Amino acid sequence: MTVLTFTIILLIGAYLAGLLGSLTGLGGGVVIIPLLTLCLGVDFQYAIGGALVASIATSSGSGSAYVKEGITNIRLGMFLEIATCIGAVIGALVAIYLNNNIIAVIFGFVLILTVINQLRRKEDHENVVGSETARRLKLYGSFPQKDGSVRHYQLTNVGGGFGVMVVAGALSGILGIGSGVLKVLAMDSIMKVPFKVSTTTSNFMMGVTAVTSAVVYLQRGNIEPGIAFPVMVGVLAGALTGARLLKTLDVTVLRKIFCVAIALVAANMIYNGFAGNF
Amino acid sequence: MKEEKTNVSKETQQTTEVRKKRDMNRIIGNTLRYGVTIACVIALAGGALYLIQNGNEPVKDYSIFDPNHPAYTNLRGIFSGFFNFQAWGVIQVAVIALLLTPIMRVVLSLLDFVQERDWLYAAVTSLVLAIIFVNSITSPV
Repeated sequence: MTVLTFTIILLIGAYLAGLLGSLTGLGGGVVIIPLLTLCLGVDFQYAIGGALVASIATSSGSGSAYVKEGITNIRLGMFLEIATCIGAVIGALVAIYLNNNIIAVIFGFVLILTVINQLRRKEDHENVVGSETARRLKLYGSFPQKDGSVRHYQLTNVGGGFGVMVVAGALSGILGIGSGVLKVLAMDSIMKVPFKVSTTTSNFMMGVTAVTSAVVYLQRGNIEPGIAFPVMVGVLAGALTGARLLKTLDVTVLRKIFCVAIALVAANMIYNGFAGNF
Repeated sequence: MKEEKTNVSKETQQTTEVRKKRDMNRIIGNTLRYGVTIACVIALAGGALYLIQNGNEPVKDYSIFDPNHPAYTNLRGIFSGFFNFQAWGVIQVAVIALLLTPIMRVVLSLLDFVQERDWLYAAVTSLVLAIIFVNSITSPV
């Protein structure tokens, strides 16, 4: 394969990753890793570098739009970022001792979790009575709703959320993905944060967590220029298109197709990991 | 009468706060947008250079990870590559620009918290920055 062919394939793949990522609310990493490892035969170590680039591009690319809406809870994100950054540090250390097959199996399980999270019914957590810790940490927030009114919310179980965030950070340090799934899970299911706030805050956090491990992976040589260039350009272009389409498109069917595809990739990753094929 | 006055001043105070918040959000939004655009433009330039120089060559063997820290893994190597118009140097500078976007966002939030005199969150944000910084220079590579 020539450099040109490889770059074009990766550009198209990264574009689709960015597009699907912004339509389904997942980071680009979830699509980039299987594309690189399973379709193009790239070593997991380079795929992790590509996924980090994709995660940061998605987070910063869609972040500029989210900030304007004023839904993101920066205090909540920043506080939990202590946990994810510590997790990312641990993850980047642990990763040295993991071989590609173990990483593939871990990735497969994260994908399964992603599917479950996509299929789960979304609750909006009305009238949550917040905990004292959350109040002291000024984590309560408010956001403007579509009808122009402002909704105030409280949240609970800060310790539990913090703990899951350490795991989310560690996974992101090992796999290079944003671990959006675990972040949303921690905020939505454990801390009872309104869904919209969870997703936008998770998007904000994704970039910061990914950068914590990316500065290390760049020095280790995981971020390869020949892969980073098409991934960055493709994911950004895809995310931009996705953000436009999202306003006009009904994504329920797409989400379901995406879930089936991810479940298949998960099975493939876990099988090949256990078989020692990576 | 007096009460009304305090209410009014409280309201104006609140509106200024809301306006300040909106200004900060605009600055953060613009920083992200410009940061990503700059990174993307540099990546496109580097990518074009890469395809012109190496487009017809067979692609590097990515199936085995190369653990021997090539020049594109440290700042000095990257910038010397960049100034010598090496495609890999230009692309890695784009990667660095991209990495700076979330960091800039955290730095701007820190300034915002300091301006609001929210010392608890100024400390939280500084801690996050410190973790990122210390990790980037001490983690084994």
